[in-house]
Amino acid sequence: MGGYFGSYALVVALFAIGVAVVAGALFLNRMLRPTRLTPDKLLTYECGVDPVGEGWAQSQVRYYVFTYLYVVFAVDAVFLFPWATVYAAPGFGMTTLVEMFLFLGFIALGIVYAWRKRVLAWT
Amino acid sequence: MNNTFQAPTIEYGQLAPLLLVFGAAVVGVLIEAFAPRYLRKSFQVPLTFVSLLGAFALILVQVFVSGVPTAPAAMGAVAVDGPSLFIWGVILILAAVSVLLITDDDHFVPQAAAVPGSAEEDDALAEGAAHTEVYPLVLFAVGGMLLFAASNDLLMMFVALEVMSLPLYLLCGLARRRRLLSQEASVKYFLLGAFSSGFFLYGMALIYGFAGTVDLAGISRALGTVSGQDPLLLIGTALLGVGLLFKIGAAPFQAWKPDVYQGAPTPITALMASGTLVAAFGALLRVFWVALGNLDWDWRPVMWGVAILTMVLGAILAITQTDIKRMLAYSSIAHAGFLLVGVIATGDARQNADALSGILFYLLVYGITTVGAFAVVTVVRDAGGEAGHLSRWAGLGKRAPALAGVFAFFLLAFAGIPLTSGFFGKYAVFAAAATGGALPLVIVGVVSSAVAAFFYVRVIVLMFFSEPAADGPTIAVPSMGTAAVVTVAAAATVVLGVFPEPVLRLADQAASTLFIR
Amino acid sequence: MGETITFWVLAVVSVSAALGLVFSRKAVYCALMLGVVMFSLAVLYAVQDAPFLAAVQIIVYTGAVMMLFLFVLMLVGVDSSDSLVETIRGQRFWALVAGLAFAALVGLAIGNTIVGPAAGLAGATQAAGGNVPALAQLIFSRYVFAFEVASALLITAALGAMVLAHRERVRPKPTQKELARARFFSGYAPSLPGPGTYARNNAIDMPALLPDGSVSRLSVNRVIARHDVDDDHFPEDAKLADAIRQAVEEEGK
Repeated sequence: MGGYFGSYALVVALFAIGVAVVAGALFLNRMLRPTRLTPDKLLTYECGVDPVGEGWAQSQVRYYVFTYLYVVFAVDAVFLFPWATVYAAPGFGMTTLVEMFLFLGFIALGIVYAWRKRVLAWT
Repeated sequence: MNNTFQAPTIEYGQLAPLLLVFGAAVVGVLIEAFAPRYLRKSFQVPLTFVSLLGAFALILVQVFVSGVPTAPAAMGAVAVDGPSLFIWGVILILAAVSVLLITDDDHFVPQAAAVPGSAEEDDALAEGAAHTEVYPLVLFAVGGMLLFAASNDLLMMFVALEVMSLPLYLLCGLARRRRLLSQEASVKYFLLGAFSSGFFLYGMALIYGFAGTVDLAGISRALGTVSGQDPLLLIGTALLGVGLLFKIGAAPFQAWKPDVYQGAPTPITALMASGTLVAAFGALLRVFWVALGNLDWDWRPVMWGVAILTMVLGAILAITQTDIKRMLAYSSIAHAGFLLVGVIATGDARQNADALSGILFYLLVYGITTVGAFAVVTVVRDAGGEAGHLSRWAGLGKRAPALAGVFAFFLLAFAGIPLTSGFFGKYAVFAAAATGGALPLVIVGVVSSAVAAFFYVRVIVLMFFSEPAADGPTIAVPSMGTAAVVTVAAAATVVLGVFPEPVLRLADQAASTLFIR
Repeated sequence: MGETITFWVLAVVSVSAALGLVFSRKAVYCALMLGVVMFSLAVLYAVQDAPFLAAVQIIVYTGAVMMLFLFVLMLVGVDSSDSLVETIRGQRFWALVAGLAFAALVGLAIGNTIVGPAAGLAGATQAAGGNVPALAQLIFSRYVFAFEVASALLITAALGAMVLAHRERVRPKPTQKELARARFFSGYAPSLPGPGTYARNNAIDMPALLPDGSVSRLSVNRVIARHDVDDDHFPEDAKLADAIRQAVEEEGK
């Protein structure tokens, strides 16, 4: 695993330490506290009211549009990363700037359309 | 950063028709976003026509002023060669004619998000709401078709395939009447289309594994140099073939066609049956002739089987249909089979040019006749919309002789009777196939044409020689657009049937350069 | 060596997750299994010198696309169930046969391919100065047209999502004032007062009245009622006092 990923070793180590601290605290807590479970304690807590029925709720189709917009942003972010790495390199500047912003402009069109259709407003 | 970046060169002149169509689609979306509702249609319709006809004019400029290009454009991604330009012209004409049908709002649902049969739907209908998004969507689909037929590498082809298909999946679900059927058609088309795209993509990956490139010419070169990896190539070819044959609706992959053609709004069916077929044949030819041309010993036997199966299945199943749109769908399957006969008829350059010219001419005449036939279908109506069932068409010849006459004429053109354009189309393809050594295929083709003709004649007999039902369908007064479509299609079918010479010569010229690499 | 080990471990994980995805009855489990498959793929990409692809796999697929899947799953109601009736007889059997045959074919074909020693991606991307810059070079030069056209796909998808899922208001949204006005002019009595509007007491020791004016027996607090009787402390309203007495008598029985 050297090379490219090697440079991330520190990040991984830090992440592992973070996880270890949180997990260790929770584990210690678990060891110290008494645990006596009753069926009532194991119920899902819903503001003191006993839960009724299934936990599955059907959502409205209109929320789908928001997830879709999220996907659009994710996709254009993906193209932005490689662009960001080469933008400063000789020869890339203006050409890639125009190309990238043409792409972003087209994508933004989808969001402008959504905005004008009052998808983003609370109704 | 060791090497410097080469700015890409884009031949804007050659790509102008494509860019115009996509640009108009983008402007169409802007109109949807910013124009008030009551003005949208009066912006969208002219915009759509101007862009389609403008793109056609740009093709003419390209051909007659600049000349047919001899090298691929846009860094080798798009090949604007003779066949491409001809196919572009055909697609643009067919799309413009189909858009004439689409301008009739009566085919589209006023509010797609309203539940079928709900009060909201009635409200939207009463308010005169309409999805003018249809126009930009059609333009995107047409742009995808243009690009699909002209892609010079598999990656571009895949993107184009999706750009073409996605709007069509959507448009299929927007029929105003029998909405559940329409939505079912849309979902079916989407699922099967996504599945076939998956095949295409996997085939592409395997071929990349073989050749190390997705460039069509590069793959062709790799056929001679790479050794020991034939299984990758063969399976890749097969999978790529599945993806493309699905789009043209060839036999083992034809199941979607009747359902989708029946459920979709009829103007969209007309667009799919003409434009998509043309574009898909363009792409199929490019992949199998340019990239895999030297592999023809391997794919030809399979293609033989597919072509025979497609022709026979299309012709025979058409007989059992009772719905007019389903019948036309099966007829379209059979015609895809006839066209495949032309795809197989490869040989030396001269032979290839002949076969290609035949296919190009066939695509044009079949497309126009199909749009005309579907235009007639939109006019024959019942209380619940179009009178789909064939029994409702009984005696139509007595109630509306002119309309029934035109429809009968279209059917005869499908059957390939002399003095119709269909005859010369079939003749051109079959003649090329016969000289190309595919005589058995031609025989199967002629026999299945005869079987299909039997059915077309039965519809004609039904229309003219049986008594009209008492509560028969009404003939809606066709809108200006629909009347124009029927007239144009009928005129084209006659003129190309009697005097096909100029267009045949044009197709010859377009085909003479073959595909550039 | 590390690559081989990772591959074999992940092969087991991802294939079992994929099988779980196919055979699981609950849609949410399927989605989670899909997440596992995508994640294993991301790790495989990373191991094969494609860090950017691995990141994209996680950001776009495991993140965004999975989210989209979960949303679609949540659109499905609890009470809906798959119809397991086969409309074409023997469909499942033949699908299985065809699927296995296809798998065998692909497996054999790829197994028979003579593959040279792996060259590795690092060599190919070195000239451009690394994996991501190499990708950027291709995206912004050779495949720039495909890249730009792909945006048409995203616009189409936006239009599609909006057309199919967003119900545009055909008429303007009624304001509070309009709603109130409509109610007053509707001919019915303007809405009945909310509960408690006419209550004279707000205490737990008062029995409640039902909408028809009678006393709700349920609302009499037994403990307080007993105290009331013991202290001879009753409400002024005879109806309420009766209810309290009755409750205590009933309890006494």
